[in-house]
Amino acid sequence: MSWLKRLWQGRKVSITQEVREVELPGVGRVQVARRVDCLGAVCPRPQLLTMQMVEELAEGDVFELLSDNPTSVETIPSLAMVLCSTHLATVRDEQGWRIYIRKGL
Amino acid sequence: MSNDNHAVAVAVEKEGWLAQRSNQYAVGIMALVLLGSLWALSIDTRYVYLLVYVWFGMVYGMFLQYGRFCMAAAVRDLFAVGVPRMAVGMMIAVALYSIIAATVTVGGFSTFHPNAMGWHIMLGGLIFGFGIVFTGGCASGSLYKAGEGNVGSMLVIVAISFSQAIFVSASGWFDRLMPSSWVESAIAKDMPEELAVQEGWFDIFTAGYVWDLKGATLAEMLGVANPFVASFLVNTLLVTILPTIAILLLLYAVYYKKGYMRRAKISAPQLGDHARGMWSMFTSSKNTAIAGIGLGIFAGLQMWVTGALRDHYQIYNFGEMLSAMGHTTGLSIQDTVFDPGYWYITTQEAQWGGWIMQQLGVSMTDNIFFGLENGLPNPLLNAPGFMSIGIILGAAVLALSRREFKWKLPSLETAMFALIGGTLMGLGARIGMGCNIGAFFATVTNGDPSGWVFLAGMTLGGYLGVKAFNLWIERRSAKLDECEL
Repeated sequence: MSWLKRLWQGRKVSITQEVREVELPGVGRVQVARRVDCLGAVCPRPQLLTMQMVEELAEGDVFELLSDNPTSVETIPSLAMVLCSTHLATVRDEQGWRIYIRKGL
Repeated sequence: MSNDNHAVAVAVEKEGWLAQRSNQYAVGIMALVLLGSLWALSIDTRYVYLLVYVWFGMVYGMFLQYGRFCMAAAVRDLFAVGVPRMAVGMMIAVALYSIIAATVTVGGFSTFHPNAMGWHIMLGGLIFGFGIVFTGGCASGSLYKAGEGNVGSMLVIVAISFSQAIFVSASGWFDRLMPSSWVESAIAKDMPEELAVQEGWFDIFTAGYVWDLKGATLAEMLGVANPFVASFLVNTLLVTILPTIAILLLLYAVYYKKGYMRRAKISAPQLGDHARGMWSMFTSSKNTAIAGIGLGIFAGLQMWVTGALRDHYQIYNFGEMLSAMGHTTGLSIQDTVFDPGYWYITTQEAQWGGWIMQQLGVSMTDNIFFGLENGLPNPLLNAPGFMSIGIILGAAVLALSRREFKWKLPSLETAMFALIGGTLMGLGARIGMGCNIGAFFATVTNGDPSGWVFLAGMTLGGYLGVKAFNLWIERRSAKLDECEL
């Protein structure tokens, strides 16, 4: 039955808490507090995860969101504005996009 | 603006453009369409009428993919996460398209027919709007997402096709739910016996209710004769542009103003601040607006080209051409097929589902929808059907060349949502006489106010859909927490 459960839930969204540094184009070195891997997830899950992260993190913390859903990738910067957060960068890589958002303006 | 630091760094070294696998696939699709077109033309040059649908479909698919033109995202992002970006882009696209539609009408090439106005449009929009929240794509959105490799969206198309086909042809005990006045009115229409209009709720609904309603553009209602005044001043300005501006102002006031002023650190905004805020809202929807202009120009061109071809071949409907070529199966009893001559999505999908069911032995032509109005042609001869296929292929070409194509298999949950939501969309599209394109976009932009009724229903349905979707998510995450404990 475990395969049925896997199929039902799909590829799992994983949230990792390890702090690391990344070099962002046009921004410089940034400490990333959390990494959300939602590759394979379609709308509205990446948007909802972004909202969840902004809610959970402390002011000034940066999180990284991995997505391969183009529509979400374009909406999330606007969503960051609504959530009064700063969209730092969107970096394209082989799997999809990595979006960096800092909580707060 | 977020676009300024929207620094997209491409991590792939520049090689020859054709050396990349995805670009080879994109070129391959283009070559296949070209070869297919040449093959069809070599059999009979009259197939150009059908091919025009394919070619325009491909262009639509590219613009849809470029602008991420998705009505579902517009409604859902607005209500679920408070982002008006796609809704704003959609409104700008509506305004721009209406100007082009008016130009086509004044030029005398319009193939547009207004929809009958009535409560059914509101209800259809509501069911449709509820469905799109769960499928994650409207009718045309599902087509371009299918072109991006989203298998869930392909399931949505299957569900829309079959739910419409079943809905328009089914009859049984539920026929008795129809008001008797509709049944009488339907029988009084004196339709050919093989349609059996007194059987089948959709037949009773169509002949007994919708046919008794009137549909007209505002200019027709007001009796404006001058074509320039009718198209530009009445239909475009009054029916499209002014309501669009009102909606944009509302979106700004409710969803954008507060965040903008806070970011710009303005505590007592002046009129100029609001103007800058509005502009910032518009520019964040730039891609969708560009897609709107492109879709508008080409949708207008399609009406013009199809109108010119009808003139050239002296036909009124593709069905006449099909019978002249010897393809008489699948035509309606009036010897016609569905042939709108403009951007339309759902009816041809219903024909796909209906055709397959007929091959399986179900009698599908004893109803008004297929038997009298739209016919049930072989999908290989279904001209608007090729427009839908063109949209998928066009979106795939652009997605491949932008390296955004990726096969995405749905989880069982997403697949169930796709099938249930798609079924609701098919139902809503038939009750409301079209999808967000046929019943809203193409309608309001041609001066038919019934499109706004559809949008109102769709917005309400979308709002309820978001509420239901959130309830589901909460229930599910509560359950997961329990499991982990």
